[in-house]
Amino acid sequence: MDLRYTPEQEELVRTAERFLARVCPVSVVRALAAGARGFAPETWREMAALGWLTLELPGEERGGLSFLEVALVAEAMGRVLLPSPFVCTTAMAVPLVQALAGAAERARWLTRLENGELVATVALVEMGWADPFGAPRLAVAEAAVPRLTGRKRFVPFAAHADLVLVVAAKGQVVAVEPPADGLACERLATLGGDPGYDVTFDGTPGVSLGRAEPALLRRILDRGAVASLAYGVGAAARALELTVEHAKTREQFGRPIGSFQAVAHRCADMRSDLDAVRYLVYQAAWALAAGREAALEVGAALAYGLDALRRLAMHAHQVHGAVGFSTEHDLHLYTNRLKAIELSWGAAHVYRERVAAAMGL
Amino acid sequence: MDFAFAPEDERFRTELRAFLAEELPGWWRGMFVEDPRAMPFTRAFCRNLAARGWLTMAWPREHGGAEASVWRQAVLREEMWAHDEPRGPQYMNLNYIGPCIMRFGTDAQKRRFLPPMAAGEVIWTQAFSEPGAGSDLASVATRAERAEDGYVVTGQKTWNSYADAPADWCFLLARTARTERRHDGLSVLLVDMRTPGITVRPVHTMAGPHEFNEIFFDSVRVADDCRLGAEGQGWEIATMGLAFERVGIARYARAGRVIELLAAHVRQVGLAADPDVRTKLADLRVRHEAARLLNYRAISVQAAGRVPVVEAAIARVHNTQLEQLVGHVGLELLGLGGLLTHDDATAPLGGLVNRQWVRNVPTTIAAGTLEIQKNLIARRGLGLPRAG
Repeated sequence: MDLRYTPEQEELVRTAERFLARVCPVSVVRALAAGARGFAPETWREMAALGWLTLELPGEERGGLSFLEVALVAEAMGRVLLPSPFVCTTAMAVPLVQALAGAAERARWLTRLENGELVATVALVEMGWADPFGAPRLAVAEAAVPRLTGRKRFVPFAAHADLVLVVAAKGQVVAVEPPADGLACERLATLGGDPGYDVTFDGTPGVSLGRAEPALLRRILDRGAVASLAYGVGAAARALELTVEHAKTREQFGRPIGSFQAVAHRCADMRSDLDAVRYLVYQAAWALAAGREAALEVGAALAYGLDALRRLAMHAHQVHGAVGFSTEHDLHLYTNRLKAIELSWGAAHVYRERVAAAMGL
Repeated sequence: MDFAFAPEDERFRTELRAFLAEELPGWWRGMFVEDPRAMPFTRAFCRNLAARGWLTMAWPREHGGAEASVWRQAVLREEMWAHDEPRGPQYMNLNYIGPCIMRFGTDAQKRRFLPPMAAGEVIWTQAFSEPGAGSDLASVATRAERAEDGYVVTGQKTWNSYADAPADWCFLLARTARTERRHDGLSVLLVDMRTPGITVRPVHTMAGPHEFNEIFFDSVRVADDCRLGAEGQGWEIATMGLAFERVGIARYARAGRVIELLAAHVRQVGLAADPDVRTKLADLRVRHEAARLLNYRAISVQAAGRVPVVEAAIARVHNTQLEQLVGHVGLELLGLGGLLTHDDATAPLGGLVNRQWVRNVPTTIAAGTLEIQKNLIARRGLGLPRAG
């Protein structure tokens, strides 16, 4: 047991924060949010050169680190609100490729990924029944070249992905490499977060990667959720910094508002809440890295964390007062991102139920 | 970062549980019950722990310890607290009074005070709060006037746990000087409780059999060699002691045990499928996990040789609120059965949840109120300005 960063982790985080401060000032966040692509390909290539996209692949040149380090990098990205397909590519698509793809495809995709030439995403969600993440029903016509027909929703970065891993009926995973016949992506109007797309398949050909067992799909989803929550921790940490800065400098009644206990205690609550999420996330990432089922650790992190992100954002607004509601101020960028994270993986109650099950209830 | 206890620490936990199963009598419910067997039992239990080298195992060898890691010590605290703290008053010696003496004491003081602690032979009480000095601890008014070869102490302390045990020694925060900054005039004195002029009176509380005391000092003579640290260093020592105290009690461990027992209870009575019950218990379990990790974070800071002031305050905010919530939600789940105290033979879970609730009413007040913890986090953790 030791909850301090190792010297290597400290170095990784320091490097990440330096790099991200350079490539992603808030002006870039605003510009990318207004653009069609939603991320900067040159930054993606630099991230690849830093080894981030293949952080967990074995071997020193390819990273050789663990999912815990993926979470630490995601947290650093959250601090600057870096828009990038890191979560859907590195946290989700890469382990799916590693688990299912044949040697040739695996080598081809991972090499392109290492070179920053590949963006991968996972098409999982279907709507219209109770669990949008549960048993997908998208049809696959089995043949030498499988063909997909149907629709997936909320596929991150789909229109600019080079590899779309589609989870179809019975856990069949089919890799589609755009452009492909009968493939269409339509951008969803969302409140924030990664650009999401409706992806329709009309006899779209792909490469069959075989069946993913429910445990594998669970793990992919858990990794996505935990990496995304880690990003949320970074974003919330920065929102707290903005809040404290405001409380120190904004004067009312002739003194800084942070000297009023009502304000100071709200800030202290934010710090207590934030630290709790942070260590719950680290523990969940550590447990996932160890390859364990991690239902309790992941469940606890998400059950606490998704609610906490909401509390943190609203406390930040309350302390900022009216100015935080203005889009001239940066706070709303954090608020929208935190809300998007809260909603992207099933709400906190879903994870509380998971904890209940893990407790033997 | 590593979130697992080392295999040898887990083995120690197993060994410790077997030991507790063997040693704890069926009637043991912790201190502060109307049971004359409790105090003699904790004394014997501590000597027993000492004989096994477990009482002060985290201490340096020169002071009778085994230099066990802070994590081994964390395992010990968790198991002790989860089993209603069978060390009784002596946990304070190990957690912070001993460590404060190691840090600030002279060699002679270390030789004098530490060995009896390591042997499990001595009971200390702490005297910080006063009727007029609660959250504003720096306003301590108990005076220690300079006299030949030492001090003469006069004043009143309150909320002293175990003073009536009877305690052998008292860790006293007193005013030795009037200084411009109130904090600078405080010193810590180590007072023999048998000194003439000391009167101990019980404070009765809603937790039942009295738990606390007042101590009156009437011209009590304290020798120079019983001042800990320099004159005026009292605030620094108290702050460090309180930080160790805040993480020294594994409150989450007892909350965790009550949560487990509640889960078993709802399964047994057929409530485990109720969505509301599931949500409430899962929520407690999640908060327990958060509190546990934040304690471990503070211990990690301590392991690195720093005093985890802010980290301890954050851990305490989580611990204390968890303990209260476990009591409230636990009683709610028990419904009518929650009315029954441990004196009623039919009380569900032996009245454990009832006890959990009532003992934790003051938990967000002791060792610095929740609000004081928040002040500390705001000022020292976030750098916010002092309240005007």
